[in-house]
Amino acid sequence: MTQAVPPIGGLGSTGSASWFRRVDFTSAVWVIVLVLLVLLVVLPIYFLFQESFLRDIDDVWQFSFGNYVEAFSDPIYYGPIATTFVISLFAGVFSLIIGAGMAWCVSRTDMPYTGLVRNSVLAAFVTPPFLGAIAWILLAGPRAGWLNVLFRWITGLSQDFSLFNIFSLPGVIFAITLYTFPLVFIVVLAGLNNISSDIEDAANIAGGGTFSTMINVTLPLVLPALFAGLILAVLEAMILFGIPAILAIPAGYHTMTTQLRQFMVSEDDMLGVAGAYAMPMLIAAIWLIWMRGKALGRRGYATVGGKGGVRRPQKLGSWRYPVFFLCLFPVICTLGLPYVALSATSIMKTLGGGFVWSNLTFEHYIFMINNDGVRESFFNTVGLALMAATGAATVASIASYIVQRKLVRGHSFMGFMATAPIGIPGIVLAVGLFAAYTKQPFVLYGTLWILFLAYLTKYLPLAYQTSNAALTSIHPELEECSRILGANRLQVFRDVTIPLFKAGLIASWILVFMPSLRELSASILLWTTDTKVISVVIIDLYEENLFGPISAIAVTLLVITLLAIAAGFRLVGKDFMKAG
Amino acid sequence: MKGRYLRFGIAGLAAAAMLMSIPASAAPDMRAAKKEGKILWYSSMSLPITQAVCKRFNAKKTGITCVAHRSGSGKLYRRYLQEAKGGIYKADVFHTSNLGHFLNMKSKKHLVKYVPTGTGNFNPKFKSDHGFWTIFRASMLVPFYNPKKVKASEAPKSWKDLIDPKWKGRIVHSHPSYSGFVTNGMINIVKLHGWEYYEKMAALKPKIMQSALAGIPIVATGEADIGAGTVLYGLFAAINKGEPLKIILPTEGVPLVTSPSGILSKAPHPNAARVFTDFMFSKDNMQFLADNFLHVGHPGVKYPKGLPALSDMKLMSISGKELKKKNKPTRKKFRKLFGV
Repeated sequence: MTQAVPPIGGLGSTGSASWFRRVDFTSAVWVIVLVLLVLLVVLPIYFLFQESFLRDIDDVWQFSFGNYVEAFSDPIYYGPIATTFVISLFAGVFSLIIGAGMAWCVSRTDMPYTGLVRNSVLAAFVTPPFLGAIAWILLAGPRAGWLNVLFRWITGLSQDFSLFNIFSLPGVIFAITLYTFPLVFIVVLAGLNNISSDIEDAANIAGGGTFSTMINVTLPLVLPALFAGLILAVLEAMILFGIPAILAIPAGYHTMTTQLRQFMVSEDDMLGVAGAYAMPMLIAAIWLIWMRGKALGRRGYATVGGKGGVRRPQKLGSWRYPVFFLCLFPVICTLGLPYVALSATSIMKTLGGGFVWSNLTFEHYIFMINNDGVRESFFNTVGLALMAATGAATVASIASYIVQRKLVRGHSFMGFMATAPIGIPGIVLAVGLFAAYTKQPFVLYGTLWILFLAYLTKYLPLAYQTSNAALTSIHPELEECSRILGANRLQVFRDVTIPLFKAGLIASWILVFMPSLRELSASILLWTTDTKVISVVIIDLYEENLFGPISAIAVTLLVITLLAIAAGFRLVGKDFMKAG
Repeated sequence: MKGRYLRFGIAGLAAAAMLMSIPASAAPDMRAAKKEGKILWYSSMSLPITQAVCKRFNAKKTGITCVAHRSGSGKLYRRYLQEAKGGIYKADVFHTSNLGHFLNMKSKKHLVKYVPTGTGNFNPKFKSDHGFWTIFRASMLVPFYNPKKVKASEAPKSWKDLIDPKWKGRIVHSHPSYSGFVTNGMINIVKLHGWEYYEKMAALKPKIMQSALAGIPIVATGEADIGAGTVLYGLFAAINKGEPLKIILPTEGVPLVTSPSGILSKAPHPNAARVFTDFMFSKDNMQFLADNFLHVGHPGVKYPKGLPALSDMKLMSISGKELKKKNKPTRKKFRKLFGV
């Protein structure tokens, strides 16, 4: 057995290569990943449960159902549950329609400027939703919003009429949809790009038109990605904190997340009540994930075989430009208008002074540059995002590989673990982490590590869903082929799966990196003086009424994002974010 | 002769003993403070002013670096208690706008006595008789309006005027759960006009903001015409910048909110905390606060033009005890009435 295995193909049997081949680290890697997942996911949930049953009765902490009674007996706490349900349902469905439609146009049609549309959606994805919400107050506030002022100027109506009212339930759903549809777009795009055109060509040859091919062939093939996208959007809408905090509360609504935050900042210790209140969200999330698994069943959609395949765009004909403008519309609402509003505000001395020469200034940029807090938080944010993205992409790709290839018994449990955190609102996850890591011997509170754990856990499902969707479409026949030729699991993973899977890996890295730049709901509870991140700085400034500096930071963030996307293209080539 | 020396000696010992028994008034130990090198300040004062105070202290090059952690009063209190529960003590100096919290912290032994140097001749309203804290600054909760939208003659003159039905959909109110100033003001107004006042206010469907200051941009842009109450110093800062805003000094009086500062008993940098506290209450720094439209206890500072003096206003104030008792019920009742 000590004899070296004969070299495969062109590989030379150099020392390290042969050692790598001889020893199969497979099981060790599986165990490590499983333990990591359990620690990441189970620990905070365990502490959440524990807190939800602990209550301070006569200065002694003891087991009690009191937190549940308090959280679900007061009528004032029912409203937010219904509001959250309505918001996530509508925002999820709208996101699916917009995101999937745009993904199809970009991936499958000869629509012009697909690159522009795709990159704009990416930039939209990194725009912090709370910045969007702030911008939309300037744009669509019922009385002073610029769009409403314009509308009244055109129609000559009095001030009691407004076209848009962002401080309303539809307004909140609108704003949330703007920042959740990119999720659907990215997931569906990755799925679509993995289907070769052979199948669609076959449909075309058999006499199917563009539309019937889309409905009858492309749609069923991309169904797993559509489901994944819808579920992501519904869950994201449910656990979003920034937009409801800025738009729903002024309108007189609480959602579950803003209600949770209210518990958390309450002067009394309401950690336990918050824990109890979070349970319906947790259950809803687990149910959604389970439903998704059930709906998809065991149907396989392996379309990337070893036989090549070309993607050919569907002809839109005279619809090319109308479709392009239709795709542009959501991007204008997400990026164009808000950044126009923020750019203008960033150089306005006073908000009430209007956009006139005498009211222009650069003082907000100077404030931003001279502010130590802002500078440090920029570094913290970028560092954290790099770490979280790398960590999550690694863990997620290994986990999804194990699940897809059914490598170990209980593999579906692993998949569940990797998706479960999506049902934990960031703010609740933060509570769990806080409870877990403020105790000896693991005092991570006050360091960037606790934020890293929060981001890693929070965005693991995003990375996992993407890896999974990408892996589903890579047929195991390619790996089996290498196995037959004598490579072990890890080698196959490294030499066959990863190269095929590279685009999926990059997509999941970016899917974690971008939202990490703007993470708010967990950070707002875990930040300390030395570990401030940019989103927390912005909320601070918002509460301080400093719209000017907020806008200056927003514009700077956008520039950084655009540079990062450009750099991505340089480094990875035009396949960057194309998945496949 | 011997007796005299002895008497001197005894007097000296007695003096030394006295100094040791009341470290509250002893000058801080500079050498120990320098060794600690750092002070972490939890402050609820608005971010630019908090940061500026720290910067000014650091510019003195005492060998101690001030780091500020700024947040709302309620959030700082919650954060401190949560950290303490986990056995983590990071903060040295604690400064918020909720006297009720300070009472709690004093009774739970989270604070140490320290009377900052030079505060002896301060306005008595700014001193405490037990020495666990001193009032660092004071301000008032005041209504305001946008003169581009509302004529001065039509603007409200009193708290009662704010609940006139004509302001329906045109008014903004801040949430007491996030703002100590608003809670304080509400307790005062309820004492004056009863809860009926807030029932009528709720019927106006005001926009609800999450901090006292957050109402300012809403009125400045014209999204709302009047604000039901914001912090006077924040309002003056906005007016000073040129925002179209006007202050209202209600005829019934304005709620005075005093913001204490104290040193934490588990402060990791106890000596540096004392040096910093002395700086906070120095005339130079007190003048700096006054320049930023805050009211302070130092008798020698000059206030900016147009800022009403404490003595010119009809002030309403409530005791820390009352604040402590009514904090929670007030917030609960607000939620019932306004639905958020």
